[in-house]
Amino acid sequence: MDREQVQKSKLALQPYEDRPVGCPPDPDLSAMTKEELDTRRETVERLRGLVKKAEKGDKKAVPEIREILQQNPDLAWRFTNVGRVAEWSLIEKVTKEKDLASKDMMSFQLESMREEVAGSSPSPLERLLAERVVASWLQVQLFEGLYVQNMGNLSIRQADYYQKRLDRAHKRHLSAIKTLAQIRKLGPAVQINIAEKQINTAG
Amino acid sequence: MSPWERRERGGLYYTRSKKVNGKVVREYVGGGILGELAARMDAEERLRRKEEAVAWREEREHLEELADLVDELCEDVETITHAALLAAGFRRHKRAEWRRRRGPRTGAEE
Repeated sequence: MDREQVQKSKLALQPYEDRPVGCPPDPDLSAMTKEELDTRRETVERLRGLVKKAEKGDKKAVPEIREILQQNPDLAWRFTNVGRVAEWSLIEKVTKEKDLASKDMMSFQLESMREEVAGSSPSPLERLLAERVVASWLQVQLFEGLYVQNMGNLSIRQADYYQKRLDRAHKRHLSAIKTLAQIRKLGPAVQINIAEKQINTAG
Repeated sequence: MSPWERRERGGLYYTRSKKVNGKVVREYVGGGILGELAARMDAEERLRRKEEAVAWREEREHLEELADLVDELCEDVETITHAALLAAGFRRHKRAEWRRRRGPRTGAEE
């Protein structure tokens, strides 16, 4: 591992609250190697299977979930990067290629929105959920914008596609808000170990 | 079937086929310069539609890629959230509300 990589992994392991407030680092695209992506997907797939089992009443699944979360303490942080990559791609789509000012402004607005949605002293889980709220909001804006912009020139099939995509985006956005609200409602009684260290949920 | 039909007198006649009430109907346009002109216009229209279809397919593929990034993020975050809540001793009531598990944890969970 070269020096640059060592620095990057140090940053990844640095607790979120120790980083400059409102100024998270840019998504580290180079750190998202195919190997890392595959590992992350595999971890989430395992979790998904175990969550399904646990929700069906399999009590053995819960200790396994705990073990995976403990073995992957920076899971939430890694997903923050995934969220930023998705956001960047959407910004590229909704702004003109050379319109750097708009790209910058939109990025700044989204950052402010993320901070506002996450609230003060958010737990890593809340940060992650705020990331999802903002990404899904941007997706709604994208499809709404494209639909309105092309409304007069769309064929029935194209209009149908945009409408369906927009409905799905709305649904995802509402679901993201609902989950964040649920987490806040649950309060401080739990310790959730999904970030770099064990934290208390806010409330 | 070729849109050009040979007439009994030997000339070529340009025709268009279209569907009317679900049945294929042949429209007789004309021969000579008129037929040539109509054929060229139809060819241009076909090319335009083909190009539009290709452009729409590409646009759609690009949009799907973008949407997939967010969709994947949303699903994965949902999984992590559920996992974190289950690990913290919560259970989902009627696939909606999360409630704290009552009573001591069983041996299997420790």
